[in-house]
Amino acid sequence: MDDTQGAGIPMDLGTAFDSETAANPQPMFKMLREHAPVLPVAGGVIISRKADVDEAFRRPDVFSSNADALNIGNIRPLIPLQIDPPDHVRYRRLLDPLFSPKKMAALESRTAALVHRLIDRFAGRGACDLVTEFTIPLPSEVFLTMFGLPLEELDTFLRMKDGIIRPDGDQEQQAATRRATAEEMYAYFNKVLDLRETDPRDDILSGFLSAELEGRRLTREEILDICFLLMIAGLDTVTASLDCFFAYLAQHPADRQRLVDDPSLIPNAIEELFRWETPVTGVPRIAVQDTELGGTAIKAGDQVMVLLGSANTDEAEFARALEVDLDREVNRHLAFGGGVHRCLGSHLARLELRVALREFHARIPSYSLVDGTALEYTAGIRSLASLPLVWEA
Amino acid sequence: MKVVIDGELCHGHGRCYMLAPDVFEPDDRGHGVVTRAEVPDDLRKQAELAAANCPERAITVSE
Repeated sequence: MDDTQGAGIPMDLGTAFDSETAANPQPMFKMLREHAPVLPVAGGVIISRKADVDEAFRRPDVFSSNADALNIGNIRPLIPLQIDPPDHVRYRRLLDPLFSPKKMAALESRTAALVHRLIDRFAGRGACDLVTEFTIPLPSEVFLTMFGLPLEELDTFLRMKDGIIRPDGDQEQQAATRRATAEEMYAYFNKVLDLRETDPRDDILSGFLSAELEGRRLTREEILDICFLLMIAGLDTVTASLDCFFAYLAQHPADRQRLVDDPSLIPNAIEELFRWETPVTGVPRIAVQDTELGGTAIKAGDQVMVLLGSANTDEAEFARALEVDLDREVNRHLAFGGGVHRCLGSHLARLELRVALREFHARIPSYSLVDGTALEYTAGIRSLASLPLVWEA
Repeated sequence: MKVVIDGELCHGHGRCYMLAPDVFEPDDRGHGVVTRAEVPDDLRKQAELAAANCPERAITVSE
């Protein structure tokens, strides 16, 4: 892609979309699908049709997820996200069982306890900022539990995560913060891994230490690269999903009441909200050879931003694509991506959302947004700055 | 009726065993596995629902 062609529109979704679009991205997606399904931007293209997204996911050898597709301070490729086939599947064979539905089911009661512990702090108050009091701490506390770390580490965890994902300052300062935080994170996990090596426990870090990859143990570097990925992929994404789902339910009382009246609807409702909200708007790939997509030439070295949110609202795939239907029967959404890099943590994310929605609505069945609230979504990962709710305590 | 998952296409989204637990179950990696060599007709709706929801279109239902 010629750099001048995409002048003005950056590849980074965080800056490509303004806050209004981040809040209600579906009309923009529709416009892209209809008028520029393979949109030239600085450094590459943004793709928005379901068919093209499917094709990109089915050709990981061409549309690579390697370290050139995304750099956020890591000094080596993130495992398994930035490893391409054929090595990729070796890591997934090892990691998938640690995040399988069966393993996740064992976390259900502990997750429910964490949910109630957070709700206990604000239920009687009749008001809360759901973001600072619930959607930010919950995923990190679930991680701490999985890692066998005390909940008192929450602030350290949140600081490291934010240092990587949302560092302050100009570009140079951001890069410096990312590098420093990455070093801190490597050192932090190194220390805990040393402890687990001499004193193994029933936690995921001990699981990494004893796991075998084709007859050998993982190296310390490999384990650190996995931990790094889990930190940046498993925390803000669940926070954003909770933000999007609770914001939707706060503003759609009839749908919320249905979940209160019949909690067995929650799993299907979650899939529909994943489709409609698509909390992770897009995932980056990089073309490693000259190719084409939807009739448009793509050059080796072009970045390809895969717009999951647009694929998930494509009328060519979904009936009544622009309506939310909690009873939707056919829903091949790609909120967790697709192909070989399908989100490793998807079963964990579903568990956290299911438990959070079920337990929250059992305790606080009716709530609304504080009057006059304008919700501010971040573009890219669609988290909220704040979600002020009120209810009758 | 026969239900088959194409192992090359399946990437472990897990929709099949969530929607049709009488026809599919997860393996250790969370990829779907068909639990019956011959799927009885009364489970057709479940099997077809799973096929219609597979994000990778990896499931086929045939006579």
